Amino acid sequence: MAVSLTRREALGGAAAALLLASCGGGDPPPGGAKPGSGAALLSSLLALQHATVAAYGACEEVLRGEALAEVRAIRAQEREHAGRLEVGIRDLGGEPPAGKTAEEYARTFPRLRTEADALLFADHLEQRQVRAYLDAIKDFTQAGARATAADIGADQAGHLAAVRVLRGLPAAQGPFVTGAL
Amino acid sequence: MARGSDVEVLEELLAVEARQVAAYEAALRRGAIEPALGEELLEHEREHAAALERRLGTAERNPRATVPSSELTRALRSREDFARYALGLEAEAVAAYAEAAANMSDARLRQPLGSIMACEAAHRVALRDSLGRRPLVD
Repeated sequence: MAVSLTRREALGGAAAALLLASCGGGDPPPGGAKPGSGAALLSSLLALQHATVAAYGACEEVLRGEALAEVRAIRAQEREHAGRLEVGIRDLGGEPPAGKTAEEYARTFPRLRTEADALLFADHLEQRQVRAYLDAIKDFTQAGARATAADIGADQAGHLAAVRVLRGLPAAQGPFVTGAL
Repeated sequence: MARGSDVEVLEELLAVEARQVAAYEAALRRGAIEPALGEELLEHEREHAAALERRLGTAERNPRATVPSSELTRALRSREDFARYALGLEAEAVAAYAEAAANMSDARLRQPLGSIMACEAAHRVALRDSLGRRPLVD
């Protein structure tokens, strides 16, 4: 039976597929990092960051005005986060993954025709990012890595809220962004 | 039920929530925040406080005292003043939850505390928006 998808579902599904494909939680630690050091999880987060930076590049092509300025600011912060993760991986003796080429990423993105398309895509990207970092707080065994994940996770939550405001939605989805206490 | 040092941290987070609840209640009474936004933020903070109370359960507790702040009284003079004050409270909350999430000895509490941290980060964006500032950048 043919499955029909709404445009919203297709865009969201594409974002999910992109980001899940970028993660490699089961990957071995990169380079000379020791198993259990946290380098593998940092590398998964870095892969996610690289994909997100590329995805925001696609969003920028269809955005204008305030939305474009906001997305550029978000993308700049995403690059900073990638830099922090690279330092963390090297500190653990690993080699940070380089990411894919712009063309490879572009092939996995949905076609963004309008500002609404781009902001919906960005919303899904940030939801994935927030979940990834909050999961990492749980999964890292070292307090220092957990603190980094929490710090970047707070930024990602700010990005998600900013995108929601640009979409005309309340900044906060609810009292618990993922999972209640 | 939380244990040991985790109880101390949860008590501190509860005090953070109590300050926020008191601030948003006062702002709503005095018209120092747009009602829909104030009600939404207040509801979230109350939910956080209730969740922390549930998690503390029957643990032996040492509740923190919360004293009305003269800074809050001054901030209630206008919506702009209050939004700036509340931004400071939310920034403190984000930092407190980030530290708690990273350092909880009970690993099951880390992700849920991160979830509240994410909500507080969203509140900062909402308050910036209420000031007519861009969500992230000026």
